[in-house]
Amino acid sequence: MNKMVAIRGTREGLTIALGSSAMPEILQELARHLQAQGAFFRGGMVALEVGERPVSADDLAAIQKLLGEYDMTLRTVLAADKASQEAALALGLRLVSPAAPEAEAAPPAAPTALAAGSAPFEGVRGILVRRRIRSGQVVRHTGHIVVIGDVHAGAEIVAGGDIVVWGRLFGTAHAGAAGDENAIVCALELAPLQLRIGHVVARPAEGERQRPQYPEVAYVRDGLIVIDKWDRTPRGV
Amino acid sequence: MGARVITITSGKGGVGKTTTTANLGVALARQGKRVIIVDSDIGLRNLDVVMGLQNRIVYDIVDLVEGRCRLRQALIRDRVMPELYLLPAAQSRDKTAISPTDMLRLCDQLRAECDIVLIDSPAGIERGFRNAVAPAEEFILVTTPDQTAVQDVDRVVGILEAEGHRALRLVINRVRPALVKRNESLSPQEIVEMLAIELLGIVPEAEEIIVSNGRGTPIAYNEQSPAGRAYHQMARRLLGEAVPIPPVEAQKRSPWAWLRRRSS
Repeated sequence: MNKMVAIRGTREGLTIALGSSAMPEILQELARHLQAQGAFFRGGMVALEVGERPVSADDLAAIQKLLGEYDMTLRTVLAADKASQEAALALGLRLVSPAAPEAEAAPPAAPTALAAGSAPFEGVRGILVRRRIRSGQVVRHTGHIVVIGDVHAGAEIVAGGDIVVWGRLFGTAHAGAAGDENAIVCALELAPLQLRIGHVVARPAEGERQRPQYPEVAYVRDGLIVIDKWDRTPRGV
Repeated sequence: MGARVITITSGKGGVGKTTTTANLGVALARQGKRVIIVDSDIGLRNLDVVMGLQNRIVYDIVDLVEGRCRLRQALIRDRVMPELYLLPAAQSRDKTAISPTDMLRLCDQLRAECDIVLIDSPAGIERGFRNAVAPAEEFILVTTPDQTAVQDVDRVVGILEAEGHRALRLVINRVRPALVKRNESLSPQEIVEMLAIELLGIVPEAEEIIVSNGRGTPIAYNEQSPAGRAYHQMARRLLGEAVPIPPVEAQKRSPWAWLRRRSS
Protein backbone atom coordinates (compact mmCIF):
# COMPACT_ATOMS: atom_id res chain seq x y z
CA MET A 1 0.00 0.00 0.00
CA ASN A 2 1.08 3.51 -0.77
CA LYS A 3 2.86 5.13 2.15
CA MET A 4 1.36 8.49 1.45
CA VAL A 5 -2.13 8.32 0.00
CA ALA A 6 -4.50 5.60 -1.14
CA ILE A 7 -7.74 6.38 -2.93
CA ARG A 8 -10.36 3.66 -3.06
CA GLY A 9 -13.56 3.87 -4.97
CA THR A 10 -16.50 2.21 -3.37
CA ARG A 11 -20.04 2.20 -4.57
CA GLU A 12 -20.87 4.65 -1.84
CA GLY A 13 -18.22 7.19 -2.72
CA LEU A 14 -14.53 7.58 -2.20
CA THR A 15 -12.33 6.65 0.67
CA ILE A 16 -8.99 8.40 0.93
CA ALA A 17 -6.55 6.83 3.35
CA LEU A 18 -3.59 8.86 4.55
CA GLY A 19 -0.25 7.16 5.10
CA SER A 20 2.37 8.01 7.67
CA SER A 21 4.45 10.52 5.69
CA ALA A 22 4.70 14.18 6.63
CA MET A 23 1.64 16.25 5.86
CA PRO A 24 3.10 18.52 3.15
CA GLU A 25 4.21 15.46 1.18
CA ILE A 26 0.83 13.85 1.61
CA LEU A 27 -0.92 16.96 0.35
CA GLN A 28 1.38 17.04 -2.65
CA GLU A 29 0.73 13.41 -3.43
CA LEU A 30 -3.01 13.87 -3.06
CA ALA A 31 -2.93 16.86 -5.37
CA ARG A 32 -1.06 14.77 -7.93
CA HIS A 33 -3.66 11.96 -7.73
CA LEU A 34 -6.52 14.38 -8.07
CA GLN A 35 -4.97 16.08 -11.02
CA ALA A 36 -4.58 12.74 -12.78
CA GLN A 37 -8.02 11.35 -11.98
CA GLY A 38 -9.97 14.28 -10.60
CA ALA A 39 -12.46 14.32 -13.45
CA PHE A 40 -13.81 10.92 -12.40
CA PHE A 41 -14.32 11.96 -8.84
CA ARG A 42 -15.99 15.27 -9.53
CA GLY A 43 -18.99 15.83 -7.31
CA GLY A 44 -18.02 12.93 -5.06
CA MET A 45 -18.42 12.50 -1.34
CA VAL A 46 -15.24 11.62 0.48
CA ALA A 47 -14.49 9.73 3.65
CA LEU A 48 -11.00 10.40 4.97
CA GLU A 49 -9.18 7.66 6.84
CA VAL A 50 -6.45 9.18 8.95
CA GLY A 51 -5.90 6.18 11.19
CA GLU A 52 -3.72 6.63 14.26
CA ARG A 53 -1.84 9.72 13.18
CA PRO A 54 -2.75 13.06 14.66
CA VAL A 55 -4.07 15.56 12.14
CA SER A 56 -4.55 19.22 12.92
CA ALA A 57 -7.56 21.28 11.98
CA ASP A 58 -5.34 23.24 9.60
CA ASP A 59 -4.31 20.04 7.82
CA LEU A 60 -7.91 18.91 7.53
CA ALA A 61 -8.90 22.31 6.22
CA ALA A 62 -6.13 22.10 3.63
CA ILE A 63 -7.36 18.71 2.47
CA GLN A 64 -10.92 19.97 2.39
CA LYS A 65 -9.87 22.91 0.25
CA LEU A 66 -7.91 20.70 -2.13
CA LEU A 67 -10.88 18.37 -2.58
CA GLY A 68 -13.11 21.37 -3.07
CA GLU A 69 -11.06 22.38 -6.09
CA TYR A 70 -12.27 19.17 -7.73
CA ASP A 71 -15.87 19.67 -6.59
CA MET A 72 -15.47 16.92 -4.03
CA THR A 73 -16.91 17.16 -0.57
CA LEU A 74 -15.14 15.96 2.52
CA ARG A 75 -17.91 14.58 4.63
CA THR A 76 -16.57 12.01 7.02
CA VAL A 77 -13.36 11.54 8.93
CA LEU A 78 -12.27 8.22 10.38
CA ALA A 79 -9.76 8.92 13.10
CA ALA A 80 -8.46 7.21 16.20
CA ASP A 81 -6.38 10.03 17.59
CA LYS A 82 -8.03 12.44 20.00
CA ALA A 83 -6.51 15.55 18.40
CA SER A 84 -7.65 14.45 14.94
CA GLN A 85 -11.15 13.82 16.21
CA GLU A 86 -11.37 17.26 17.73
CA ALA A 87 -10.05 18.81 14.55
CA ALA A 88 -12.74 17.03 12.54
CA LEU A 89 -15.46 18.16 14.91
CA ALA A 90 -14.15 21.70 14.81
CA LEU A 91 -14.67 21.69 11.06
CA GLY A 92 -18.18 20.32 11.43
CA LEU A 93 -17.36 17.02 9.77
CA ARG A 94 -18.99 13.73 10.49
CA LEU A 95 -16.68 11.71 12.69
CA VAL A 96 -16.26 8.00 12.92
CA SER A 97 -13.87 6.75 15.53
CA PRO A 98 -12.92 3.08 15.81
CA ALA A 99 -13.90 3.06 19.47
CA ALA A 100 -17.39 4.31 18.88
CA PRO A 101 -18.48 3.49 15.36
CA GLU A 102 -21.89 5.06 15.92
CA ALA A 103 -20.42 8.39 16.94
CA GLU A 104 -22.55 11.10 15.42
CA ALA A 105 -21.19 13.92 17.50
CA ALA A 106 -21.03 16.48 14.75
CA PRO A 107 -24.17 17.72 13.06
CA PRO A 108 -24.04 16.02 9.67
CA ALA A 109 -24.43 18.31 6.70
CA ALA A 110 -27.29 16.21 5.42
CA PRO A 111 -28.73 12.80 6.08
CA THR A 112 -26.31 10.51 4.39
CA ALA A 113 -25.81 6.88 3.66
CA LEU A 114 -22.14 7.12 2.90
CA ALA A 115 -19.17 4.87 3.18
CA ALA A 116 -18.01 5.52 6.69
CA GLY A 117 -19.84 3.14 8.97
CA SER A 118 -20.62 0.58 6.23
CA ALA A 119 -23.86 -0.13 7.99
CA PRO A 120 -25.87 -2.76 6.13
CA PHE A 121 -29.13 -1.80 4.43
CA GLU A 122 -28.34 1.84 4.65
CA GLY A 123 -28.79 1.88 0.92
CA VAL A 124 -26.51 3.35 -1.68
CA ARG A 125 -26.81 6.76 -3.17
CA GLY A 126 -28.01 6.99 -6.70
CA ILE A 127 -29.81 9.31 -9.01
CA LEU A 128 -32.77 8.84 -11.31
CA VAL A 129 -32.61 10.75 -14.57
CA ARG A 130 -35.96 10.84 -16.27
CA ARG A 131 -35.24 12.21 -19.73
CA ARG A 132 -33.35 11.33 -22.87
CA ILE A 133 -29.64 12.14 -22.80
CA ARG A 134 -28.49 13.74 -26.04
CA SER A 135 -25.13 13.97 -27.76
CA GLY A 136 -22.70 16.12 -25.77
CA GLN A 137 -24.62 15.76 -22.52
CA VAL A 138 -22.89 14.09 -19.61
CA VAL A 139 -24.46 12.55 -16.53
CA ARG A 140 -21.98 12.00 -13.73
CA HIS A 141 -22.59 10.70 -10.26
CA THR A 142 -20.50 8.97 -7.64
CA GLY A 143 -23.27 6.49 -6.84
CA HIS A 144 -25.58 4.60 -9.19
CA ILE A 145 -27.30 6.15 -12.19
CA VAL A 146 -30.69 5.10 -13.46
CA VAL A 147 -31.90 6.63 -16.70
CA ILE A 148 -35.46 6.38 -17.90
CA GLY A 149 -35.08 7.34 -21.53
CA ASP A 150 -32.66 6.81 -24.38
CA VAL A 151 -28.97 7.63 -24.17
CA HIS A 152 -27.95 8.91 -27.60
CA ALA A 153 -24.68 8.38 -29.43
CA GLY A 154 -22.22 11.04 -28.23
CA ALA A 155 -23.76 11.19 -24.75
CA GLU A 156 -21.85 9.99 -21.70
CA ILE A 157 -22.89 8.36 -18.45
CA VAL A 158 -20.26 8.06 -15.74
CA ALA A 159 -21.19 6.38 -12.46
CA GLY A 160 -19.22 5.33 -9.44
CA GLY A 161 -21.64 2.42 -9.17
CA ASP A 162 -24.03 0.74 -11.58
CA ILE A 163 -25.75 2.14 -14.65
CA VAL A 164 -29.27 1.08 -15.48
CA VAL A 165 -30.92 2.42 -18.61
CA TRP A 166 -34.60 1.84 -19.08
CA GLY A 167 -34.29 2.68 -22.74
CA ARG A 168 -31.72 2.35 -25.46
CA LEU A 169 -28.07 2.93 -24.67
CA PHE A 170 -26.17 4.18 -27.73
CA GLY A 171 -23.70 6.51 -26.03
CA THR A 172 -20.72 5.83 -23.81
CA ALA A 173 -21.20 4.30 -20.38
CA HIS A 174 -18.64 4.05 -17.62
CA ALA A 175 -19.74 2.16 -14.53
CA GLY A 176 -17.57 1.74 -11.45
CA ALA A 177 -15.67 4.79 -12.61
CA ALA A 178 -13.61 4.97 -9.44
CA GLY A 179 -12.30 1.47 -10.03
CA ASP A 180 -15.12 -0.82 -8.94
CA GLU A 181 -15.12 -3.77 -11.32
CA ASN A 182 -18.17 -5.31 -9.71
CA ALA A 183 -20.34 -2.64 -11.25
CA ILE A 184 -22.77 -3.52 -14.01
CA VAL A 185 -24.34 -1.73 -16.96
CA CYS A 186 -27.72 -2.79 -18.20
CA ALA A 187 -30.14 -1.45 -20.76
CA LEU A 188 -33.27 -2.50 -22.60
CA GLU A 189 -31.18 -2.14 -25.74
CA LEU A 190 -27.48 -2.26 -25.05
CA ALA A 191 -25.65 -0.85 -28.08
CA PRO A 192 -23.10 1.59 -26.65
CA LEU A 193 -20.32 3.23 -28.62
CA GLN A 194 -18.00 2.27 -25.80
CA LEU A 195 -18.42 0.56 -22.49
CA ARG A 196 -16.17 0.84 -19.47
CA ILE A 197 -16.43 -0.90 -16.15
CA GLY A 198 -13.77 0.01 -13.63
CA HIS A 199 -10.57 0.06 -15.67
CA VAL A 200 -11.80 -2.31 -18.35
CA VAL A 201 -12.74 -0.85 -21.72
CA ALA A 202 -14.80 -2.56 -24.40
CA ARG A 203 -15.84 -1.51 -27.85
CA PRO A 204 -18.49 -3.33 -29.82
CA ALA A 205 -17.09 -5.50 -32.59
CA GLU A 206 -16.51 -3.73 -35.88
CA GLY A 207 -19.20 -3.97 -38.49
CA GLU A 208 -22.89 -4.43 -38.16
CA ARG A 209 -23.79 -6.08 -34.92
CA GLN A 210 -27.16 -7.63 -34.95
CA ARG A 211 -29.14 -5.91 -32.27
CA PRO A 212 -30.82 -8.38 -29.99
CA GLN A 213 -34.41 -7.62 -29.21
CA TYR A 214 -34.03 -8.21 -25.49
CA PRO A 215 -32.45 -6.36 -22.56
CA GLU A 216 -28.81 -7.05 -21.83
CA VAL A 217 -26.41 -6.62 -18.95
CA ALA A 218 -22.65 -6.07 -19.08
CA TYR A 219 -20.23 -6.98 -16.31
CA VAL A 220 -16.58 -7.90 -15.83
CA ARG A 221 -15.57 -11.55 -15.81
CA ASP A 222 -11.90 -12.60 -15.75
CA GLY A 223 -10.80 -9.08 -16.59
CA LEU A 224 -13.06 -8.78 -19.64
CA ILE A 225 -16.41 -7.19 -20.18
CA VAL A 226 -19.02 -9.76 -21.10
CA ILE A 227 -22.62 -9.22 -22.12
CA ASP A 228 -25.50 -11.47 -21.15
CA LYS A 229 -29.19 -11.50 -21.64
CA TRP A 230 -30.73 -9.52 -18.79
CA ASP A 231 -33.51 -11.80 -17.71
CA ARG A 232 -32.58 -12.53 -14.14
CA THR A 233 -30.60 -11.01 -11.33
CA PRO A 234 -27.12 -10.36 -12.70
CA ARG A 235 -24.17 -12.16 -11.24
CA GLY A 236 -22.82 -10.68 -8.02
CA VAL A 237 -25.87 -8.58 -7.23
CA MET B 1 -46.99 41.16 -29.46
CA GLY B 2 -45.94 40.84 -33.05
CA ALA B 3 -44.22 38.26 -35.12
CA ARG B 4 -43.08 34.71 -34.53
CA VAL B 5 -39.30 34.49 -34.42
CA ILE B 6 -37.94 31.22 -35.79
CA THR B 7 -34.24 30.39 -35.95
CA ILE B 8 -32.92 27.91 -38.49
CA THR B 9 -29.87 26.10 -37.16
CA SER B 10 -28.02 22.78 -37.40
CA GLY B 11 -24.69 22.62 -35.61
CA LYS B 12 -22.92 21.28 -38.68
CA GLY B 13 -22.16 23.46 -41.67
CA GLY B 14 -23.18 22.84 -45.24
CA VAL B 15 -26.39 20.98 -44.54
CA GLY B 16 -28.67 23.62 -46.04
CA LYS B 17 -29.58 26.18 -43.36
CA THR B 18 -29.36 29.10 -45.75
CA THR B 19 -31.24 27.30 -48.51
CA THR B 20 -33.95 26.35 -46.03
CA THR B 21 -34.22 29.91 -44.74
CA ALA B 22 -34.48 31.41 -48.22
CA ASN B 23 -37.05 28.93 -49.46
CA LEU B 24 -39.20 28.96 -46.35
CA GLY B 25 -39.10 32.75 -46.56
CA VAL B 26 -40.42 32.64 -50.12
CA ALA B 27 -43.00 29.97 -49.31
CA LEU B 28 -44.31 31.78 -46.22
CA ALA B 29 -44.53 35.02 -48.19
CA ARG B 30 -46.55 33.19 -50.83
CA GLN B 31 -48.93 32.15 -48.06
CA GLY B 32 -49.57 35.85 -47.60
CA LYS B 33 -47.33 36.41 -44.59
CA ARG B 34 -45.08 39.41 -44.12
CA VAL B 35 -41.67 37.84 -43.64
CA ILE B 36 -38.24 39.17 -42.71
CA ILE B 37 -35.30 36.82 -43.18
CA VAL B 38 -32.21 37.68 -41.18
CA ASP B 39 -28.69 36.55 -42.05
CA SER B 40 -26.87 36.28 -38.72
CA ASP B 41 -23.73 34.69 -40.20
CA ILE B 42 -21.61 37.81 -39.80
CA GLY B 43 -18.36 37.58 -41.75
CA LEU B 44 -19.64 34.80 -44.04
CA ARG B 45 -22.82 36.21 -45.45
CA ASN B 46 -24.62 34.01 -47.98
CA LEU B 47 -28.33 34.53 -47.71
CA ASP B 48 -28.19 37.61 -49.96
CA VAL B 49 -26.54 35.53 -52.70
CA VAL B 50 -29.11 32.75 -52.52
CA MET B 51 -31.86 35.40 -52.69
CA GLY B 52 -30.12 37.19 -55.56
CA LEU B 53 -30.02 40.45 -53.62
CA GLN B 54 -26.32 40.89 -53.04
CA ASN B 55 -26.02 43.92 -55.30
CA ARG B 56 -28.63 45.84 -53.36
CA ILE B 57 -26.94 45.83 -49.97
CA VAL B 58 -26.18 49.29 -48.64
CA TYR B 59 -26.54 48.80 -44.89
CA ASP B 60 -26.30 45.57 -42.90
CA ILE B 61 -27.18 44.14 -39.51
CA VAL B 62 -24.08 45.56 -37.82
CA ASP B 63 -24.81 49.05 -39.19
CA LEU B 64 -28.29 48.72 -37.75
CA VAL B 65 -27.12 47.52 -34.34
CA GLU B 66 -24.48 50.23 -34.16
CA GLY B 67 -26.99 52.91 -35.12
CA ARG B 68 -25.60 53.95 -38.48
CA CYS B 69 -28.95 53.45 -40.20
CA ARG B 70 -32.65 53.03 -39.57
CA LEU B 71 -34.42 49.66 -39.85
CA ARG B 72 -36.18 50.61 -43.07
CA GLN B 73 -32.87 51.46 -44.69
CA ALA B 74 -31.29 48.12 -43.86
CA LEU B 75 -34.20 45.93 -45.02
CA ILE B 76 -34.00 44.85 -48.66
CA ARG B 77 -37.22 43.95 -50.43
CA ASP B 78 -37.29 40.74 -52.44
CA ARG B 79 -37.35 41.06 -56.21
CA VAL B 80 -40.54 39.02 -56.52
CA MET B 81 -42.38 38.97 -53.21
CA PRO B 82 -43.42 42.42 -52.04
CA GLU B 83 -43.85 41.24 -48.44
CA LEU B 84 -40.50 39.47 -48.12
CA TYR B 85 -37.50 41.37 -46.78
CA LEU B 86 -33.87 40.47 -46.14
CA LEU B 87 -31.73 41.88 -43.36
CA PRO B 88 -28.21 41.06 -44.58
CA ALA B 89 -25.19 40.18 -42.46
CA ALA B 90 -22.05 42.27 -42.47
CA GLN B 91 -19.24 40.75 -44.47
CA SER B 92 -16.25 42.71 -43.15
CA ARG B 93 -16.84 42.07 -39.45
CA ASP B 94 -17.04 38.97 -37.26
CA LYS B 95 -19.46 37.33 -34.85
CA THR B 96 -18.34 39.44 -31.93
CA ALA B 97 -19.62 42.59 -33.65
CA ILE B 98 -23.03 41.93 -32.10
CA SER B 99 -24.19 40.26 -28.90
CA PRO B 100 -27.21 38.14 -27.97
CA THR B 101 -28.63 41.24 -26.24
CA ASP B 102 -28.28 43.23 -29.47
CA MET B 103 -30.20 40.48 -31.26
CA LEU B 104 -32.98 40.58 -28.68
CA ARG B 105 -33.34 44.33 -29.08
CA LEU B 106 -33.18 44.10 -32.85
CA CYS B 107 -35.83 41.40 -33.01
CA ASP B 108 -38.17 43.42 -30.82
CA GLN B 109 -38.03 46.04 -33.57
CA LEU B 110 -38.56 43.45 -36.31
CA ARG B 111 -41.53 41.86 -34.57
CA ALA B 112 -43.51 45.03 -35.00
CA GLU B 113 -42.85 45.11 -38.74
CA CYS B 114 -43.93 41.67 -39.93
CA ASP B 115 -45.63 38.34 -39.18
CA ILE B 116 -42.65 36.01 -39.18
CA VAL B 117 -38.92 36.55 -38.62
CA LEU B 118 -36.66 33.76 -39.89
CA ILE B 119 -33.08 33.87 -38.60
CA ASP B 120 -30.41 31.99 -40.53
CA SER B 121 -27.87 30.79 -37.98
CA PRO B 122 -24.18 30.21 -38.67
CA ALA B 123 -22.73 26.73 -38.16
CA GLY B 124 -21.27 25.84 -34.79
CA ILE B 125 -22.46 26.32 -31.24
CA GLU B 126 -20.40 29.36 -30.33
CA ARG B 127 -21.03 33.10 -30.33
CA GLY B 128 -22.71 33.27 -33.74
CA PHE B 129 -25.09 30.47 -32.76
CA ARG B 130 -25.79 32.21 -29.45
CA ASN B 131 -26.67 35.40 -31.31
CA ALA B 132 -29.02 33.56 -33.65
CA VAL B 133 -30.72 31.60 -30.92
CA ALA B 134 -31.19 34.33 -28.30
CA PRO B 135 -34.29 36.08 -29.70
CA ALA B 136 -36.16 33.01 -31.00
CA GLU B 137 -38.91 31.01 -29.39
CA GLU B 138 -39.17 28.45 -32.20
CA PHE B 139 -36.46 26.52 -33.98
CA ILE B 140 -36.02 24.60 -37.19
CA LEU B 141 -33.17 22.10 -37.10
CA VAL B 142 -31.72 21.15 -40.46
CA THR B 143 -29.96 17.86 -41.02
CA THR B 144 -28.93 15.66 -43.91
CA PRO B 145 -29.03 11.86 -43.72
CA ASP B 146 -25.37 11.86 -42.65
CA GLN B 147 -24.57 10.42 -39.25
CA THR B 148 -22.42 13.45 -38.43
CA ALA B 149 -25.14 15.96 -39.24
CA VAL B 150 -27.70 13.99 -37.25
CA GLN B 151 -25.43 13.81 -34.24
CA ASP B 152 -24.74 17.55 -34.40
CA VAL B 153 -28.44 18.30 -34.51
CA ASP B 154 -28.85 16.02 -31.50
CA ARG B 155 -26.27 18.13 -29.68
CA VAL B 156 -28.02 21.37 -30.59
CA VAL B 157 -31.41 19.99 -29.57
CA GLY B 158 -29.86 19.06 -26.23
CA ILE B 159 -28.61 22.60 -25.75
CA LEU B 160 -31.95 24.16 -26.69
CA GLU B 161 -33.95 21.75 -24.55
CA ALA B 162 -31.71 22.48 -21.60
CA GLU B 163 -32.68 26.12 -22.01
CA GLY B 164 -36.34 25.21 -21.86
CA HIS B 165 -37.21 25.35 -25.55
CA ARG B 166 -39.80 22.88 -26.75
CA ALA B 167 -40.85 24.22 -30.18
CA LEU B 168 -38.24 22.32 -32.17
CA ARG B 169 -38.91 21.06 -35.67
CA LEU B 170 -36.78 19.02 -38.00
CA VAL B 171 -36.05 19.41 -41.71
CA ILE B 172 -34.29 16.49 -43.36
CA ASN B 173 -32.44 17.82 -46.36
CA ARG B 174 -30.85 16.17 -49.38
CA VAL B 175 -32.58 12.84 -48.96
CA ARG B 176 -31.71 10.39 -51.71
CA PRO B 177 -34.53 7.89 -52.10
CA ALA B 178 -32.44 5.46 -54.10
CA LEU B 179 -29.86 5.18 -51.30
CA VAL B 180 -32.56 4.83 -48.68
CA LYS B 181 -34.17 2.08 -50.70
CA ARG B 182 -30.87 0.21 -50.93
CA ASN B 183 -30.41 0.68 -47.18
CA GLU B 184 -27.21 2.66 -47.74
CA SER B 185 -28.42 5.83 -46.13
CA LEU B 186 -30.33 6.60 -42.96
CA SER B 187 -34.01 6.79 -43.77
CA PRO B 188 -36.09 9.78 -42.64
CA GLN B 189 -37.96 7.48 -40.26
CA GLU B 190 -34.70 6.38 -38.65
CA ILE B 191 -33.54 9.98 -38.28
CA VAL B 192 -36.80 11.08 -36.70
CA GLU B 193 -36.61 8.13 -34.33
CA MET B 194 -33.03 9.02 -33.38
CA LEU B 195 -33.72 12.68 -32.76
CA ALA B 196 -37.24 12.41 -31.35
CA ILE B 197 -38.47 15.83 -32.45
CA GLU B 198 -41.32 16.84 -34.71
CA LEU B 199 -40.69 16.44 -38.44
CA LEU B 200 -41.47 19.57 -40.43
CA GLY B 201 -40.51 18.25 -43.83
CA ILE B 202 -38.25 16.24 -46.11
CA VAL B 203 -36.42 17.74 -49.07
CA PRO B 204 -35.14 15.38 -51.75
CA GLU B 205 -31.64 15.90 -53.10
CA ALA B 206 -31.94 17.89 -56.31
CA GLU B 207 -29.43 19.36 -58.71
CA GLU B 208 -31.83 22.17 -59.46
CA ILE B 209 -31.29 23.49 -55.91
CA ILE B 210 -27.61 23.99 -56.60
CA VAL B 211 -28.47 25.75 -59.84
CA SER B 212 -31.13 27.96 -58.34
CA ASN B 213 -28.95 28.90 -55.35
CA GLY B 214 -26.24 29.99 -57.76
CA ARG B 215 -28.69 32.04 -59.82
CA GLY B 216 -30.19 33.68 -56.79
CA THR B 217 -33.69 32.39 -57.47
CA PRO B 218 -34.79 30.08 -54.65
CA ILE B 219 -36.30 26.81 -55.83
CA ALA B 220 -39.51 27.65 -53.98
CA TYR B 221 -40.38 29.99 -56.85
CA ASN B 222 -40.80 26.85 -58.89
CA GLU B 223 -43.73 25.04 -57.33
CA GLN B 224 -43.58 22.36 -59.99
CA SER B 225 -40.31 20.94 -58.68
CA PRO B 226 -40.46 18.33 -55.90
CA ALA B 227 -38.05 20.35 -53.75
CA GLY B 228 -39.97 23.58 -54.29
CA ARG B 229 -43.20 21.83 -53.38
CA ALA B 230 -41.60 20.42 -50.24
CA TYR B 231 -40.88 23.97 -49.01
CA HIS B 232 -44.41 25.16 -49.68
CA GLN B 233 -45.80 22.21 -47.75
CA MET B 234 -43.44 23.03 -44.87
CA ALA B 235 -44.64 26.62 -44.84
CA ARG B 236 -48.24 25.49 -44.62
CA ARG B 237 -47.36 23.13 -41.76
CA LEU B 238 -45.60 25.97 -39.97
CA LEU B 239 -48.82 27.95 -40.24
CA GLY B 240 -50.73 25.15 -38.57
CA GLU B 241 -52.20 23.34 -41.54
CA ALA B 242 -52.18 19.53 -41.37
CA VAL B 243 -50.36 18.70 -44.59
CA PRO B 244 -49.31 15.05 -44.70
CA ILE B 245 -45.62 14.37 -45.33
CA PRO B 246 -45.31 12.19 -48.42
CA PRO B 247 -42.93 9.25 -48.04
CA VAL B 248 -39.73 9.72 -50.03
CA GLU B 249 -40.41 6.72 -52.22
CA ALA B 250 -43.61 8.30 -53.43
CA GLN B 251 -41.59 11.04 -55.04
CA LYS B 252 -40.08 8.52 -57.40
CA ARG B 253 -41.55 8.58 -60.88
CA SER B 254 -44.89 6.89 -61.19
CA PRO B 255 -46.99 6.82 -64.34
CA TRP B 256 -49.50 9.13 -62.68
CA ALA B 257 -47.00 11.58 -61.24
CA TRP B 258 -47.58 14.25 -63.87
CA LEU B 259 -51.31 14.02 -63.27
CA ARG B 260 -51.03 14.57 -59.54
CA ARG B 261 -48.63 17.42 -60.11
CA ARG B 262 -51.17 19.22 -62.24
CA SER B 263 -53.93 18.97 -59.71
CA SER B 264 -51.97 20.11 -56.67
